[in-house]
Amino acid sequence: MENSEVLIDCRSVWKVFGDRSREAIGAITGRGLGKQEVLREFGCVVGVSDASIQVRRGEIFCIMGLSGSGKSTLIRLLNRLIEPSLGQVKVKGRDIAAMDAATLRETRARHIGMVFQSVALLPQRNVLENAAFGLEVQGVPKDERNRAAEAALAKVGLSDWMLRYPSELSGGMQQRVGLARALTSDPEIILMDEPFSALDPLIRRQLQDEFRQLTKDLGKSAVFITHDLDEAIRIGDRIAIMKDGVIIQTGTAEEIVMNPADQYVADFVAGISRLHLIKAHSVMISAGQWQGAVDGLPRCSPEADIDALIGQITETGSDAIAVEEDGKLVGIVTIRNLLLGVRGDADASAH
Amino acid sequence: MENFVTAFDTTIDNALFWLTDHAAFIFDGARALLKGLFDAVQWLLLLPPFYVTAALVGLLAWRVLGLGAGVATALALAVCAAMGLWTETMATLALVIAATVIALAISLPLGVLAGLMPRLDRALVPVLDLVQTMPPYIYLLPSIALLGFGPATALVATVIVAMPPAIRLTSLGIRQTPHEFIELGQATGVTPAQMFWKIRLPFALPSIMAGVNQSLMMAFGMVVIAGIVGSGGLGETIYGAIRTLDIATSINASIAIVVLTMVLDRITQSLARTK
Repeated sequence: MENSEVLIDCRSVWKVFGDRSREAIGAITGRGLGKQEVLREFGCVVGVSDASIQVRRGEIFCIMGLSGSGKSTLIRLLNRLIEPSLGQVKVKGRDIAAMDAATLRETRARHIGMVFQSVALLPQRNVLENAAFGLEVQGVPKDERNRAAEAALAKVGLSDWMLRYPSELSGGMQQRVGLARALTSDPEIILMDEPFSALDPLIRRQLQDEFRQLTKDLGKSAVFITHDLDEAIRIGDRIAIMKDGVIIQTGTAEEIVMNPADQYVADFVAGISRLHLIKAHSVMISAGQWQGAVDGLPRCSPEADIDALIGQITETGSDAIAVEEDGKLVGIVTIRNLLLGVRGDADASAH
Repeated sequence: MENFVTAFDTTIDNALFWLTDHAAFIFDGARALLKGLFDAVQWLLLLPPFYVTAALVGLLAWRVLGLGAGVATALALAVCAAMGLWTETMATLALVIAATVIALAISLPLGVLAGLMPRLDRALVPVLDLVQTMPPYIYLLPSIALLGFGPATALVATVIVAMPPAIRLTSLGIRQTPHEFIELGQATGVTPAQMFWKIRLPFALPSIMAGVNQSLMMAFGMVVIAGIVGSGGLGETIYGAIRTLDIATSINASIAIVVLTMVLDRITQSLARTK
C-alpha cells in the first residue's frame, strides 16, 4: 500500500470563507496569522487550514471530525465543489484548480464519484434512472447505461427495486441507490460525505461492512467522511482526525489508538474498544502447542480481529480457531488467547 | 404645477396620436394577428355540436378527477347550452385559451430567465407589483386607443393581467432547487444545460404549473371585464344585460362563467398535482 500510486494529492490546502477572504489569505501567508486572529481582523472563517492528505489507489481514507471541524469542506475541495483559497489539489497527477470547465466536468464524471449524506436521489426518477444518471449526463446510450446501472444495483442488492421510486425505499435502501449511482460511472475514486450518519445503528453497521467489502472487491479508492470514530476504524485503512479545520493526526486506526498525537485525540480514542484493533497473528500460538485435532477447527486469516474470532468461536462452539495464510496453517487461537487479547495482553499470550 | 400637469397630459395624448398616425400598420397587423388567433380557436371550439364538446371535456375531467367530476362537468356544460349561451361560452373559452397561450409564451421563458438571473428578478419584481396593484380595467384604455373595439383589445389587456403570476411562480420554482441537488449535478459533471433540464426544471415544475393555473384564473376574470370593449362572449352578454337591467340573462351568463371557471380550474390544478 505504501508504494502504490497516489490518486488524490492535497497539499497545504486552505479554505477561508468571507467577503475579505483574499486579504485574510494574504495575512495568513505574509504574517502567519492564526484562525482566531483572522476571524478578529477580517471577519473571515477559516474552514480548512493547511490540510495535506494523500489518498492512494485501493485505499479507504477516512476523515473523522465533529461538526464544524471542516471535514465536509475538505472533501468538497477534493472535487472542487468548493474552490481552495490556497494550496494545491491534484487528482491523478493533474491540478484540479487549473482545469477548464469542460475538463473539470470530465474529471468529475469519469474519475470521482460522490455520495451525499442527504442521498439526493431525484424524486421524479425511479431507482434505475437515478442509478444511471451519471452515464446519462455523459451521453451514454440508454441500453448501455441501463445495463451498467442494473449491474451496480445488483452489487448493492437492489435488483428487485429498480422500477420503484425513491420515496418507496427505506433510508438504508436509498443510500444503497446513492452508492450504486456513484459506482455506475465506474470512477476510481468515491467521495463519501457522511453517507451513513442519518441511518439506524443496525443498518449503519450493515452498510459499513458492505461498503468496505464492495470497495475492496472493486478495487476503488474512497475518501470517507464521518463524525463517528468507530465508523472510521471499521471502514478506514487510514484515518485523518480533524479539529477546527486542522488535521491533527493521520495514520492507521492502530497507530492512532496506540499513539494519539495529543490530548484531544487521546480523549477521543479512550473509549474505543481494542476488539477490532488486535489481530489473530498477535494472539495466536504455534500449531505445535495445540494438542487437539486441527482438521475440524474453523479457519481465519492472520488479519482477522479479536471481535471476528469471538464471533467464530461462539457460532461454531469450537474451542479454537486455525489461522491460515495462503492455505497454510500458521497458528492456532484458543479461547484463552482471546481472553488475554481482549484484556490487551497481546504479546503475553503469543507464547 | 397645473401647467406642468396639462403639458404632461398633452404630451401623452400627442404621443398616442403620433403612434396611431405613424405606426398604424404595426397595430393593424397586431390586431389582425390577435383577431385571427381568437377566431381560429373559437371556430375550432364551435366545430363539433355542443354535446360532443361537453362529452369530451367530461371525459377529460373523468380521466383526471374521477367519474363524479366527469359527469358533473358534462352536465354543467350542457346547462350552458340549455340556457342558449353555448356560442358565448365557447367565445369566452376561446378568449381565455388564446390569452393564456400568449401570456405563457412570454412569461414562462421570462420567469426561467429571472429564476436564473437574480438581477433580472430584482428588476422585474417592482414592475410585476405595479401591474398587479393597478385595477385591471386600466389596461383596456391603451389597448382600445391603439387597437380599437373588439376581441384583439380584450386579448392584449388579458395577456397583461395573466402574465405576472406565471412569471413569479416560474422564477420562484427555478430558484428553489434544493442545494444538495445542485451539488449532485456539479459532482456528477453536468453541463449548464443539463443542470437546467435535468435538475432545476423537474423541481420547478409543480410551482410552474401552479403559475399556469393562476394565470388561467386571472385571464378568466379579465375576459369578463373586457366585455366592455366588445370582447364578445359571456362578458359582453353580462355587460349588455346590465345596461338593459336584464337580470335573468345576467344571472344565466354568470352561471355559465362559474361553470367554465370551475371546470378549467379543477382540471388544470389536478394536472399540476400529478406531474
